[in-house]
Amino acid sequence: MGEALVNFFAHLVAISNPLWAYYPLCAVAAVVYKATKFDEPRLIARAAAHFFLSVTAGMFALAAVFYLITLVF
Amino acid sequence: MNERTSARASPVAALVLAWAIPGAGHAYAGRWGKAGLFFGCIVGLLIAGMILGGGTVFSPHELWYAAQVWAGGPTIALTPISQYLSVHEGIDYADRLRETGTLYTAVAGFLNLLVMMDAYLKMAYPHRKAEKEKE
Repeated sequence: MGEALVNFFAHLVAISNPLWAYYPLCAVAAVVYKATKFDEPRLIARAAAHFFLSVTAGMFALAAVFYLITLVF
Repeated sequence: MNERTSARASPVAALVLAWAIPGAGHAYAGRWGKAGLFFGCIVGLLIAGMILGGGTVFSPHELWYAAQVWAGGPTIALTPISQYLSVHEGIDYADRLRETGTLYTAVAGFLNLLVMMDAYLKMAYPHRKAEKEKE
């Protein structure tokens, strides 16, 4: 199962995977969203980075969970 | 900060300006830095979406347009170009890049809606943040 997960993540981050197109979208959405919340550029940058990493990590975790479920059934 | 605080400044004008040109509502309020940031991000997303989708991403006959139209002026300016390209080059609905480009432009529309609300609320309730900090 561990090897299957490694292969799955390797496929997720492969250059050929069109998922890369969504990272800039998520980054811009994070910057605009956080710029409406904060005024200081430093705070905006920090909050946007936090938002981006949280969303990305959350999506990867969700993908891993769903993948594991498909392996079980 | 050189913010517009006179009694003549209208939150509704900021809202309408923010729809017409992304970031213009903040520029009207004297927040030039944020205005530039919002304009760059939203127009950048629209142009990136247009390029990714081969120029055919704006179609008033698709439900996506209900999201895209919130980006206001740029969307309305780009729609005839998109329509022209759709007629002359055709639309490949199965194209993944077109789907991604459409999503880019739809997200740009929703983000501009957020920016419009921010421009309106910051002008309508300028002391709200200070009051929250006091609490």
